[in-house]
Amino acid sequence: MVALVIALALFFDFTNGFHDTANAMATPIATGAIKPKTAVALAAVLNLVGAFLSTEVAKTVSGGIIREGSEGVQITPEIIFAGLMGAILWNMITWLKGLPSSSSHALFGGLIGAAIAGIGLHSINFESLMQKVILPAIFAPVIAGAVAYVCTRLAYALTSRHDPETGDKLTQKRGGFRTGQIFTSSLVALAHGTNDAQKTMGIITLVLIAAGTQPTGSGPQFWVIAACAFAIAIGTYAGGWRIIRTMGSGLTDVKPAQGFAAETSTASAILASSHLGFALSTTQVASGSVIGSGLGRKGTSVRWATAGKIAVGWLFTLPAAGIMGALTAWLVGTGVVGVVIAGAAGFASVLLMYFESRKSHVGHHNAVEVEEAGHAVRFQKKKAAAAARANKKRGGQK
Amino acid sequence: MKWLELLMVGGATLVAAITVVGLYSLGVRLTAIAGDVAPEAPRWVQPLAYVCFGLCGLAVLFGLYLIIPYFSK
Repeated sequence: MVALVIALALFFDFTNGFHDTANAMATPIATGAIKPKTAVALAAVLNLVGAFLSTEVAKTVSGGIIREGSEGVQITPEIIFAGLMGAILWNMITWLKGLPSSSSHALFGGLIGAAIAGIGLHSINFESLMQKVILPAIFAPVIAGAVAYVCTRLAYALTSRHDPETGDKLTQKRGGFRTGQIFTSSLVALAHGTNDAQKTMGIITLVLIAAGTQPTGSGPQFWVIAACAFAIAIGTYAGGWRIIRTMGSGLTDVKPAQGFAAETSTASAILASSHLGFALSTTQVASGSVIGSGLGRKGTSVRWATAGKIAVGWLFTLPAAGIMGALTAWLVGTGVVGVVIAGAAGFASVLLMYFESRKSHVGHHNAVEVEEAGHAVRFQKKKAAAAARANKKRGGQK
Repeated sequence: MKWLELLMVGGATLVAAITVVGLYSLGVRLTAIAGDVAPEAPRWVQPLAYVCFGLCGLAVLFGLYLIIPYFSK
């Protein structure tokens, strides 16, 4: 059972990387800073490096959310298995739908659901859950968005060039940001490794603690760190072209300077949070930054319909993955037969979704469309009207 | 209290991002000026731009240095 859960956790890590390539690399691909294939390879390597940098988040996951150990409840590998199953299924569904939902929240949702169904409400450390997961989940995207807004304004203010006498607009020459984006998006990939790879480390550590091979409250072992790092790197390389489409061009039309600001904000927010052990969702932070920087640029429009769709995806993730985790936990609770059924059902649905996804194959040859779209978008006068509308809407929402 | 930590995350994010974006933008701006034909820019402008890019890189490395536990031990 322990081996099975570890394998499943590594598979989850793989889907996480698969799912989240877009967070780091969508903007530079959309602005044409890097070629899609290079971008993905770079992201994979940096995820690998990032995973080795810190273990704070892993400690949050393994030690903070579910009460384990002698004074707490006895968490079993079966419960974790159920939680992971719920998370993987939900991740696959959102991936197919092209929604950048949060892998982290899928994971937490699944685990919480499974623990509640399998053990009871008292198994959850609600205080820690609130402080380390829920609050960062709400505030991190807002922080990142606000910072991205300020930074975009700053970047444009510093680089806007006008003729001192006539006041005419000069050539702006902001091409430098395109090169800069290569570095900032690399930082985002690095940050992703420091936060997301660790969630899996936390899970595996939790399993090892549950199985009694590791003392309660200890951090992840080295082989766990290495395995998770490689799983997420391979997953990242394997792609996520679908989500690159949504994030890079579906949400807002991204310019190099703006992408630079957005990525810097994302990377800073994630790295700062990882350092304090906040298990936040990199997807949400990245989306928050992209929207914030979109609003910071004059004459851009954020498509609120898309933004709303993403928000709904977030709202559903925790409970939906929770329900799936709870169902699996209930099934697993019935005995060995239940475990087999749960495993088979999970495997079958993953296979089904895989074949479904093959029908409309999206590879890097398709994703180049995004690159072209990024080039095609120009600063147009008629967009000012759209921006005015967007601004009004923003004012109305506050 | 976690609110304080949350505030720290927000503050750190803001400071880090503004430093990096500010320095890089300044570098881009100076490069743009250095490339002007008329009026021709002073000769120190381009090196200054490189200084900005360099400081920006250093700021990033310093941030990473603060975060990676290996160095703070």
